[in-house]
Amino acid sequence: MGRVAVIGYAATPVGRLQPRTGDAGSLEHEVLADVVLRAVEMAQVDKSDIGGLSFAQPRPYTQQKYFGTFMASYLQLPCDGFVAEVLGNGMTGGLAFEHAADNIRSGRAKVALALGVNYETAISSGEHMMSSMRAVGDVDFQAPFGITPIAWYAMDMMRYMHEFGATREDVATVAVKNRHHASLNPLAQYRKPITLDEVMAQPTIVYPLGLYEVPPRSDGAVCLVLADEDVARASGRPYVVVRGTGFHHEGAHQITATPNDMIALNAAQKAGGQAFAEAGLKPSDLDFAEPYAPCTIVEVLVSEALGIVPRGAGAKFAAEGRTSLGGDIPISTSGGLTSRGHPAYVTPLYNLLEAVEQLMHQAGDRQVQDASVGLATAELGNYNAALVHILERVS
Amino acid sequence: MINTVQLNHPHPYPPRKTPFTTPFWEALAEGRFISTRLGADGAITFPPRDFDPATWSRDIEWVELSGRGTLYSVTSVHAAPEAFREFTPYQVAIVDLDDGPRLATAFLGPVDTPLDSPIEIVAMRYTDEVAFAARPLVD
Repeated sequence: MGRVAVIGYAATPVGRLQPRTGDAGSLEHEVLADVVLRAVEMAQVDKSDIGGLSFAQPRPYTQQKYFGTFMASYLQLPCDGFVAEVLGNGMTGGLAFEHAADNIRSGRAKVALALGVNYETAISSGEHMMSSMRAVGDVDFQAPFGITPIAWYAMDMMRYMHEFGATREDVATVAVKNRHHASLNPLAQYRKPITLDEVMAQPTIVYPLGLYEVPPRSDGAVCLVLADEDVARASGRPYVVVRGTGFHHEGAHQITATPNDMIALNAAQKAGGQAFAEAGLKPSDLDFAEPYAPCTIVEVLVSEALGIVPRGAGAKFAAEGRTSLGGDIPISTSGGLTSRGHPAYVTPLYNLLEAVEQLMHQAGDRQVQDASVGLATAELGNYNAALVHILERVS
Repeated sequence: MINTVQLNHPHPYPPRKTPFTTPFWEALAEGRFISTRLGADGAITFPPRDFDPATWSRDIEWVELSGRGTLYSVTSVHAAPEAFREFTPYQVAIVDLDDGPRLATAFLGPVDTPLDSPIEIVAMRYTDEVAFAARPLVD
């Protein structure tokens, strides 16, 4: 058995796909099946080669329950590898990728799919937040204060400005930079370029973050085709391998009673350290990074935690253009969660897709020249857990 | 003892109470902020728990906290869950108590309150429930 390779991918453009009640829009299984057929066509494998299905669990708003087993039937796809839906808040898509990779590593499948669909935009934000505030805090000792998911990141931002003297403007340049990247990405939800003045003029969502510095509501469907490296090599075409993987859960849900440095993102530090050690690489070896970063400040903090930029300098690096396409280390080449969009349960699969597309040199106008090594992350909570993948082009 | 703030409306999203946590809420209604600690002088945890999370020892005791501490971070929520919409913008904070634990709670102060400045925990008496919050400490 060889390493785990990625040999195909497809996704819908991120946006508002979920039909409202009474509308005749396409439903989750239809959209996802189209994506699967396109990804498998790209991979040039036979349907009968596929031996495992690893789904990001759909949102509770998806009417079809037991969605994974329903899809196995809809696609008429018998499997000896595991077929399951996985769930881990924002990390869900990343865990689906790992579940598929395990089907390859264990030998249960030569080819396995990591896939999912996230439909949620027909549900109002006020109603959705009644659920999400319970996901990101203690239902009895935190949710009763109305602490929303991005309120935690806003508190990271306040602490970051306090400790490092970073300005709100410097952090906001991340949104401008990522919108530029998104303008070059056909899968992105928001593609019209924006200026720093426009970012600063948006209504406040969670102080000091405004509308363009927090994630939009998004739907999406995505499929990655994973394979044993033997299968990838036999194709005779370039492919991407997983060169390093790291995971750490700090045993905390947002915060614990024991005070720590909340904005050091120690789970990302540890998971990143594991991934770089396994890969035998260091942060300066990366050609680009595609972090899971729901808000501008999160991109800054996770880039620092991974050692991609110096501690306290992440916002300044963005303001100086060093993390833009064409800069020292392009970050969020897809447009990131604020502009590419954030269909939360499948967001990590979109991030991995971006990394694979860059490494296959198929990223069009936003191609990082000669990209050979890239990094993607997934997280949950307030980066209480992090999953880090280092991917490499093989040609 | 901590101070109590009176409100003239019901709690927008009341917590559930269990046989174990009921003493916490009953003490709060009397103006006392209590939690649990390992043994007679060990680390204090919050929320209260019927075992010590660091050691998994069940040897825990209730202890009254001073309710004094410092502001670690704060934000104001302008886009809120439905139950909280009528109160926007409202402030929430993370505070570090002098007694040890860090907690997240409502904040009854401006969002530009300097971080690391002193705060106090207060009881919030709604028309139907009791909760707690932090506010800037005024000597």
